Amino acid sequence: MTQAIFDRALRPLALASLAALLLCATPAKAEERPIVIGGSVSITGALAVDAAYHLHGLQQGIEDANAQGGWLGRKIELKYYDDKSDAGTAVRLYTKLITEDNVDLVIGPYSSGITQAVAPLINKYEKVMIEPEASVPDIYVPGNLWNVQGIAPSLGYLEGVLPLAKSHGAKTVAVLALKSAFSLACDKARLEQVKALDMSLVYDTTYALPQPDFSSLALAIKNAQPDVVVVCSYYPDAVGIAQALQRAGYAPKFFAEAIGPAEDEFTKALGPIANRIISNTSWWASLKTAGNAAFIAHYKATFHQDPDYHAASGYGAIQALGAALNAVKAIDQAKLHDWLLHNEVQTVQGTFANDPNGAARKFNQYLFQIQDGTRKLIWPLADAEAPAQIPYTGQ
Amino acid sequence: MLVLQILINGLLLGGMYILLAQGLNLVFGVMGVVNLAHGAIITVAGLFTFWFATHTQLNPLVLLPVVFVAMLAIGALLQRSLLEPLAGVGRKSELLSLMITFGLSYVLVEIGLDVFGSQYVSLPNLQTTWSLGGLTINEALVAAGVLGAAISGALQIWLQHTDSGKCLLATSQNRIGAVACGIDVSRMRCIAFAIGSSLAAAAGVLIIMVIPLAAQTADSLTILAFVVVALGGLGDYRGAVLAAFVLGIAQSAVGYYGGGDAESVVPYLLFILFMILRPQGLGRAAQAQ
Repeated sequence: MTQAIFDRALRPLALASLAALLLCATPAKAEERPIVIGGSVSITGALAVDAAYHLHGLQQGIEDANAQGGWLGRKIELKYYDDKSDAGTAVRLYTKLITEDNVDLVIGPYSSGITQAVAPLINKYEKVMIEPEASVPDIYVPGNLWNVQGIAPSLGYLEGVLPLAKSHGAKTVAVLALKSAFSLACDKARLEQVKALDMSLVYDTTYALPQPDFSSLALAIKNAQPDVVVVCSYYPDAVGIAQALQRAGYAPKFFAEAIGPAEDEFTKALGPIANRIISNTSWWASLKTAGNAAFIAHYKATFHQDPDYHAASGYGAIQALGAALNAVKAIDQAKLHDWLLHNEVQTVQGTFANDPNGAARKFNQYLFQIQDGTRKLIWPLADAEAPAQIPYTGQ
Repeated sequence: MLVLQILINGLLLGGMYILLAQGLNLVFGVMGVVNLAHGAIITVAGLFTFWFATHTQLNPLVLLPVVFVAMLAIGALLQRSLLEPLAGVGRKSELLSLMITFGLSYVLVEIGLDVFGSQYVSLPNLQTTWSLGGLTINEALVAAGVLGAAISGALQIWLQHTDSGKCLLATSQNRIGAVACGIDVSRMRCIAFAIGSSLAAAAGVLIIMVIPLAAQTADSLTILAFVVVALGGLGDYRGAVLAAFVLGIAQSAVGYYGGGDAESVVPYLLFILFMILRPQGLGRAAQAQ
C-alpha cells in the first residue's frame, strides 16, 4: 500500500523533473554548439597556391573572432573539404555541406570559375554566401540572389598598368589570358582599355591549362615587339609565361601578370626573372584599413609567412560575416543577406559594401612591383611606396 | 629566320617529349602495358629534385645519375612485387597490370601531395639564353632536349648492339619467339619496367627546370607521353622519337600562328588523325616507305 502511494506520487514527480531537466538542458546545449561555417577550398590542383592564402585568411579570421568571444556568444568553426580546383567537385561538396553536414553558414570557394558553378546551388538552398575570391561580375546579377562579393571586381585587375605604361611613353600592347572565368573577364576589360587609351594592340591570345610549353606564344610576342605585355593569369601560367619570354630573349618595357606574383612561390620559381614584374592586389600591408596591423601580426605568427590579398579577402569576409551576425543577432539567412546589402563594414581590405545584386563597390585595386626580391606598391601614386622601376629586364 | 626559330623551338620541345615518352614506350613494348603511373613517377622525381635543389643549393643535374640508378632498383622492386605475379594469369594479365599501374599512379600522387605539397614549383636553373645570329636558344630547353636525345640514343645503342638489349627488343617484338629462343622473358619484363621507371624519373629531374610541376600534373604528363607513343606507333622506339619531333614542331608552328588555344589541341588532333588514317604510327609508316 505504502509502496503504491509512493509510486503514484513520486513517479509523476520524477518524470516531470526529468522532463524539466531535458527542456532546460536542450537550449543550453544548443547555445554552446559552435557556429559552423562550411566551404570548399582548392587544397590541390592548379589553384592550390593562391587558395592556400585564402584558407589561411579564413582560419585567421575565425581564430581572431573566437579570441574576441565568438559570434552570438558561440565559438566559430570552419568545416572545409578539398575541391581539387574542380568546379564539379565543389558543387558536390557544397551540397554535402548544406544537406548532410547542416552547416550554419557557407563561405565562398577559391576562384571565380568554381564560385560560378556553386552559385545556383546557393540560390536553391537560400544560403547567403560571401564570396571572397570570386571577382567576375557575371555572378552578381539579379538571378543570383544569395551571392555577395567579397573581393574587388576582376574588371579592375591590372587596370593601372596601361595608364602607367602610357605615361612612360608605351604605345603597343600584347594581352594574353588563361581560359578561365576570371582571366577572360580581366582580358576583356584590358582589351577595351587598350582602345580607350588609344594604344595599339599588337598581339592577343588565350590559352588553356595544362599548357606544358609557352615558347611559341613567347616567340609570337617577341615578333610583335610590344612595349607592354599584360597576362591575365593564375599562378602556374604566370610562371610558365615569364620563363618562356626569358627563353625567347624578349623583355618588354612593362611586364604585368594578374595572379601569381603576389605569392612567395613565384619569386622562388623564377629567381631573378621575377624582378620588375608588375602585378595586381586589392590589399597591401601598408594600408591603414580596419584591423590590418593586427591581421598581419597574427597571420605571420600563425603561418610564418606574409599574407597576400587572397588572405586579406578571406579574413575580410569573416569580419563582414561577423558584423552581420552581431547586428542581426540570429542565423537568419534572409536577414543576414539583407543586412550585408544595406550596410558597410570596415575590413582589412577596405570598405565591404555591395550593390543590390551583391557586387562589391568600394574595394580598391593597386599595383605592386617585385623590386630586388621584395614587393613594393607602385600605383596609385598616392599610396605608392616606391616609383616603378622601368624597364623590365627579364634577368 | 623566324621559320628557323620555330623549327628550333619545335625540336627542343620535341626533345622534351622524347624524355617524357620513351620510358612509357619501353614498358609498353615489352610488357604490352600502358604504365599509367608513368606521369606520377616523372612528377614525384621532379618534385624531389625541387626539394633537393632548394635545400642543398646544388645543381639539380647532379641528381640525374643518382635518381636514374635509384629508380632502377625501385622500378625492379615494383615490377617484381606488383606486376610479375599477374604474368601467369593469362589473357587478363595486361588488363590487370593496367589497373595496377592506375592504382599505383594514385598512390604516388598522394605521396607526392603529402611529402611535397600541392603547389606548382619550378627551378630557376639553366636560365641563360644564347643569341646566335638573331636566333635565341635557352639553356634549360637545350639541356632537356639534348639529354633527352642522348638518353634516347644510348637506349637505341643498347637495344640494337648489346646482347641484353637485343633480348629485350626480341621480347618486345615477339614474346613467344623470345621464349622459344631461350630468353628469360620474366627477367626482360623486370628490366623493361626498371629502365622505363628510370627514364621517367630522369625526365622529371630535367623537366622541373623547364615547366612548373605539381603532384596533380601527373595525369596530363601520362596522357601527353601516351599521345607521343601512339603517334610513333605503340612500342616503336624510333617512331616515338620521330613523333616527338613532329609534334614539337607542329605545336611550335601552330602556337605561333594560331595562338595558345590552337596549340593545346594539336597533340589530340594529330592523335585522332593518326588513329583514323595511319594507326600503325609514324615510325612504321616511315619504315614502310
